[in-house]
Amino acid sequence: MLGKLALAGIKNRRRDYLVLLAGLTMSAAIFYMFANLATNQAFIKANAAIRSANIIFGFGAVLLIIITVVYLMYANSFLLSMRQHDYGLFMMLGATRKRVGQLVFLETLILGTVATAIGIGLGLLMSKFLVGFLLDLLGLHLAHLTSFYVPAILATAVLYVGLFILASVFNLFRLTRTTVLKLLHSDSEANQPQVKPGRQFIQAILGILSLAVGYWALANIKMLMISAIPVALVTITIGTYLLFKATILMVIRQLRRTAWSKKHLNGFLLGQLNFRVYNYTRMLTIVSLLFAMALGAITVGSGYHRQLPRVVDHFSGYSVALHNVSGKEEKLIDQLHVAHQATYTQKRQGKVVAYNADEFERQPFEQQRFSKNGQKLIGYDTQSLKAFKKSGIKEMDFMALALTSAGPYAPQILSASQFKQQKGTKMTVTVIRVTNFTRDMAVLKKLNKIETSRFAQPSYMTVGSYQSFEMMTGFFGGFEFIGYFLGIAFLAMLASCLMFKILSGAPGDKQRYRMLFKIGVRQSKMRQGIAKEIGILFLIPGIMGVIDVLFGLQMFKPLMASPMSPYLGIGSTFLIFIGLYVIYYFITLALYWRIVLPQATND
Amino acid sequence: MTTNTVVSVNGLEKTYGKANERQYRALKDINLTVEQGEFVGIMGASGSGKTTLLNMLSTLDVPTSGDVVVNGHDVTQMRGNQLADFRAQEVGFIFQDFNLLESLTAEENIGLPLALQGTASQVMDQAIYEVAATLSISDLLQKYPSELSGGQKQRVAAARAIVHHPAILMGDEPTGALDSTSARELLDLLTTINREQAMSVLLVTHDPFSASFCQRILFIKDGEIGSELRRGDQDRREFYQEILNELGTFNE
Repeated sequence: MLGKLALAGIKNRRRDYLVLLAGLTMSAAIFYMFANLATNQAFIKANAAIRSANIIFGFGAVLLIIITVVYLMYANSFLLSMRQHDYGLFMMLGATRKRVGQLVFLETLILGTVATAIGIGLGLLMSKFLVGFLLDLLGLHLAHLTSFYVPAILATAVLYVGLFILASVFNLFRLTRTTVLKLLHSDSEANQPQVKPGRQFIQAILGILSLAVGYWALANIKMLMISAIPVALVTITIGTYLLFKATILMVIRQLRRTAWSKKHLNGFLLGQLNFRVYNYTRMLTIVSLLFAMALGAITVGSGYHRQLPRVVDHFSGYSVALHNVSGKEEKLIDQLHVAHQATYTQKRQGKVVAYNADEFERQPFEQQRFSKNGQKLIGYDTQSLKAFKKSGIKEMDFMALALTSAGPYAPQILSASQFKQQKGTKMTVTVIRVTNFTRDMAVLKKLNKIETSRFAQPSYMTVGSYQSFEMMTGFFGGFEFIGYFLGIAFLAMLASCLMFKILSGAPGDKQRYRMLFKIGVRQSKMRQGIAKEIGILFLIPGIMGVIDVLFGLQMFKPLMASPMSPYLGIGSTFLIFIGLYVIYYFITLALYWRIVLPQATND
Repeated sequence: MTTNTVVSVNGLEKTYGKANERQYRALKDINLTVEQGEFVGIMGASGSGKTTLLNMLSTLDVPTSGDVVVNGHDVTQMRGNQLADFRAQEVGFIFQDFNLLESLTAEENIGLPLALQGTASQVMDQAIYEVAATLSISDLLQKYPSELSGGQKQRVAAARAIVHHPAILMGDEPTGALDSTSARELLDLLTTINREQAMSVLLVTHDPFSASFCQRILFIKDGEIGSELRRGDQDRREFYQEILNELGTFNE
């Protein structure tokens, strides 16, 4: 009988349950996708770019588990907030604690198991389509990418069901230890935070100091090595928490004294925030960190990828080297904006590749010239034939001009007459450097395709900056993929955390807005008020997260040396990310409006 | 009607349930008026329709037919924002469960109706100060509802109800959750407000003691107004007895 009653209770709130179930399902699906990528050995081994990102995957997995735990905690409290009134009622009607306890336990566990099962199914589908789509978008081809991987399914199932068992036990204790009356009136309590200026001042100072230490650690990663990351993680967490705790309440308190707070619903808004922010400090801290990590992952990943064309000129003195240029290639070359072009004749005999000195007199081989510290490309140089024979001839750029598929060789520059008598297979090589790599990229791609199909090179060899670019694209594309993947996963979870936390406060707010409705507050005013309130709760961790990222990117400076920079072009990445965050805000807002706003009298 | 009629109700009907379902007539052809400065009580047992009537008058619910005119506004013709604005400006409410916002201090709760109208903060402070002095709650202004007793909460609620000088003060069992001392204090306060500020008061109650503070009582039973009592020059105690007698016969 009680079971039936509980089911009826769920039916009555099926929309809220649907939200909860959808959130949990998404979370399980994301976790499965990640577990699938991170644990699939065949896939990792087959992809060099991913293999080198193993640490990132490990780091990501730990973070994902932490978020999942936090996420489930909030989802569970949302569940409890929906059910405790019903359970209180059952107990009041004479149900034994034991029986209600069983119900709570079963309900949580069933919900969790269903969510996990659907989530894994969804994760399978998403792995199949979404991951493929993301990879296509980045122009990557990863071998052995399967969507169905048993160890990943097991890992997801064990983690989620395990966590749900924990949650069930927690709920059991929570409900059976609370008095019936408290359960029945669980919504009507609101604690007012105490404000102690002296203590808060110290907290604010400590918070700022901790943040400073954290940011400093990130900026000095070269010196602190790998220990910078845990140091920063701890200090930034503590710093953010203390800062939120100390300052937000102070700001609200100050605002409540102003004339502004006495206009329209502003006072109500501040009052709401006052006791909300206090309860939310821990969650806002976590969300701000997640926000930072998600945004950071995407920024760095796409930063690497996007900035490759900037460094492409560093890779080689020429963009492409073409052998025995065909008519078709000629036409393509005409489309290029050529900065430098030279053609040399080669004669190959055994392990010797001979060149004609005359050709080098007429068109000397251009080499890159770097700044004194060897970091910055400042221009192109030519050497006298004599000097070139001594040093330039040994440079990789030049060595790579002859086909290596026929085996290793030594280049020789012979005088015109000697060259004439030299025997061997004759072929020409044309080196081309374009003025603007990005502008000519499409044509270079076509040329490279023709060249590689006609003259095969070993896969580890890259000739010219275009081939280096292609290889690096694959490599950094992997980073970008992980960045986007982790970023979107974090974002999805953090926004849902925030959503559930806010939504679990909705039943209490329902009464408050009902009161406002009675004393004659316009519907539009209430809508605006809610939008502001939730907006601020989304904004606070957002701002802190952006600040964290801006400082945190310092960490990548050693990896992205000039002319790359972790800060270049972050605007568009930020915009996309914030756009997604805003979508979450609107979803939460719409749900909140639906739960909280009193219906106007229907005519 | 003369201009000093605050509430006038004509042929008010309220039927719950759709046309093809089983219908329930909660109010049947109600006619009543409240004059400027009058203290009127509506008495009836549970389910008699007294709260439904109050909800119609205060625009929280919409009548099926009939007219309700409050302070010159025909509320049955109002929609959406007009209704909200009407409630905010013309009506002051006191509820049984106080309806105070626990996230706001007493002062902020009292100031809310004025804030909604966009009153300047100095004017607002002055109004709050005055009304707090009238209701002797000046020392409670900085406290939150959770720190107040039931009687104190209801006085804060009363302050909020009159701070913007509404045309009429409506109370729905305002003493329902109070102990007898607090209840008497509140009713004395309402009487004072009614007398000194000439504010019309409309009280819905099932409690004869509360009703004895009124000048005129309408008895409602099964959705119809059955009889009417006027206090006239009687002492409150005598009026109380008269109400008890009337209830004795009315409910038979």
